[in-house]
Amino acid sequence: MTVTREAIAVPDSTGQTIALLRVLRRGRARRQAASAAYWIYLIALVVAVYGGAQIAAAFHALRHPPPPTALTPRVLHAAPAGLAALAVIVLLVLLRDALWRGPVTLPQVTVDWVLGTPVDRGRLLRPRFRASAAAAVVAGAAVGIVPGAALVGLGLGGHSSASVLRLIGAAMLSTALLFACGTGAAGLIERYPAAALRLRRLTPAFAGVAALFGGLAAWTALGRPPGALSAVALWSGPWGWAVQGMTALAGGPAPWWPLATGLLGALAVAALAWGDRAAAGVPGAALRIRAQTIGAMSAAVLSMDTRGLARAYGSRGAASRARLRLRPPRRRELVLLWRDLLALARAPSRLAGATALALLAVGLIAVAGHGGQASLVPVASALALGYLAAAWLCEGARLDAEDTRRSENLPFRFESLAWWHAAVPCLVLLVVAGVPVLAASLAAGDPRLLAWLAVTVPVLVAGALVNVFRPRNHPDLFGGFETPVGNTAAISVVFWLVWGPVLAVGAMTLLLTRAIDSTSPGVLLRTVVIGAAVAVGLCAYASVRARRLRSS
Amino acid sequence: MSQPDPPPPPPLLALTGVSRTYGDRRALLPVDLALAAGRCVAVMGANGSGKSTLLRIASGRDVPTTGQVVYAGRALSQDDLAVRTEIAVVGDMVSAYPDLTVREHLELVAVAHGAGRDRDELVDAALRECRLADHGDALPGSLSSGQLQALHLATMLVRPRRLLVLDEPEQRLDPGRRRWLGELLCAQKRAGAAVLMATHHVELATAAADHVLVLGDGAVIGQGTPDAAAAALR
Repeated sequence: MTVTREAIAVPDSTGQTIALLRVLRRGRARRQAASAAYWIYLIALVVAVYGGAQIAAAFHALRHPPPPTALTPRVLHAAPAGLAALAVIVLLVLLRDALWRGPVTLPQVTVDWVLGTPVDRGRLLRPRFRASAAAAVVAGAAVGIVPGAALVGLGLGGHSSASVLRLIGAAMLSTALLFACGTGAAGLIERYPAAALRLRRLTPAFAGVAALFGGLAAWTALGRPPGALSAVALWSGPWGWAVQGMTALAGGPAPWWPLATGLLGALAVAALAWGDRAAAGVPGAALRIRAQTIGAMSAAVLSMDTRGLARAYGSRGAASRARLRLRPPRRRELVLLWRDLLALARAPSRLAGATALALLAVGLIAVAGHGGQASLVPVASALALGYLAAAWLCEGARLDAEDTRRSENLPFRFESLAWWHAAVPCLVLLVVAGVPVLAASLAAGDPRLLAWLAVTVPVLVAGALVNVFRPRNHPDLFGGFETPVGNTAAISVVFWLVWGPVLAVGAMTLLLTRAIDSTSPGVLLRTVVIGAAVAVGLCAYASVRARRLRSS
Repeated sequence: MSQPDPPPPPPLLALTGVSRTYGDRRALLPVDLALAAGRCVAVMGANGSGKSTLLRIASGRDVPTTGQVVYAGRALSQDDLAVRTEIAVVGDMVSAYPDLTVREHLELVAVAHGAGRDRDELVDAALRECRLADHGDALPGSLSSGQLQALHLATMLVRPRRLLVLDEPEQRLDPGRRRWLGELLCAQKRAGAAVLMATHHVELATAAADHVLVLGDGAVIGQGTPDAAAAALR
């Protein structure tokens, strides 16, 4: 083994290297297998204990399927196009998975220590493709139970156990083959960057086809479109072939379903063969970037860091430069407002998402309050949507809470940041939701609507800030404490995650439901006063949590 | 009658008009570089000046936006078996197998490069050379950052090598080990390896490099002997 000026013969070291790695990591592999077996046992136990009765009931229902109802013919008419739309979406998800992960992935350490050596990539990567393909086929078969059981549950496919089994079996076979097609094609996308580029360009077209089929399904369920349109959906590609077996066995118009299933099977075999051949040539650069992304996403999942998860997914090859600028203010009091506006300007999708959620919330509360009587669930749902909108707008606060060192150079105490960061989300929500509420208020001649909005927005934003400044998660959180009624870990984790919305949405649900039900000015005044007190209290609580977060 | 000077050896690695842009950000403006066997080129410059980008391209780990990279007479690709056999890269290893010892990491690399029977001897020598002999049975989690860097440097000693590409190999090393690194690179050069390294340390460049390329904002802003470059940098 020397340093040399001359060309070096490529060694045939693959077998030895893989065998050595297997020997060296045998202990770890055993531990992983034991851990996997434990988790499978745990999941099976939980499913058996909590879902055993439901599963038994489902099996019983499938053995004795319900009779057709008035809805059944409509479902049967809509099934070809509707199921084809779902199949297009499933296929698109499988293909787009290859843009960031794909069927061939290596752990970061293997990338770092083995990928750069002359080990034969085919022998390293093909087993991984085959394992992914096998897992996809099993997952596909499992997914196939859902549409099959749904059709049976809607009174389709006959009454005998044999006919039920045939229908569900056909569904499982079709979806397994569809998943196999998707995995094979995903392997090609991972191998060839040009294919990945083509998929990105074709994604809107795929989505359009799914929407078209969805529209066609609605049309066939409600009207009488030409039957040829459903036939077009069934023969338009593998997504159509995949649903013909289900459609035919449910009693629908797919007489050539054996041919379609055969075509799908042939395509699946071809796709897997191409994918297997391509697996050996997946570029090192693609494997590196996938290993990095998966590593970052796994770390984010394990630490329950949803922002980290989104960041890891969004950082795939992204190289961004700030385009939009805002002139900094001269007054120090305005600097955090400027900073929060900048955070929103740099992530306009947050603003758009928050706007959509806020408008949905306003719409839902308008429906909930229609007729002067409000029930708890719609009001709580509307407030939950409003809370999500507020949480999306607290990006600046979240950045400061994520790393407390970031704000060290600001002329504010860390605990006061909760108050400062409330301003921009409140302003944005008041403007966004204020326009339709003002219009409704003017139309109905009811100024109470504006008062409700004015008091609800600060409470929701303060609740979001309570969540933003939550304590760091630590192992004790997942350990919990033993009590006579069980371990507290699950409830601790849930409260750690949703304490802010529980307080804000809970308080406002009680207040608003009563306020909507009453036209008394006293009730309105009480709502405004209590709401303002809740907002101030939550902001103060967020401030306390911020101080604890910083000192932790 | 005097003999004419022998023609310079053909470069083992040649970069011609190589540039790299990420979106609308130009990380590297067109650069030319030729590196022959037994020579060392050091790339210097401030953080963000394009050193690592240049080294990633030179090792085949990134593709230039323009220009071409030729290694041993053919286009360079990290997926090329010959490239994986001959080019030792140190600098972008970010992880280690948590359950493998220092010795086992080196054994893995040695075997992957066909070490066969010489494996133990090679690994022992690399451990001694990199002052890791006492840590052969240590797991990576128990090593200091300097020892981890020494482990990464040791990997290049247990494999055949014709070109070394080192991205700031001196990072996390103490002054004594930095001097050792300079001597190690000189020894590699004398044995015939070509060395391309990015470094912030003028002393390391002066000790090991024959030629220094200074980058600033992605462009070559100076080049010459290590002493001249050091003077320019000061």
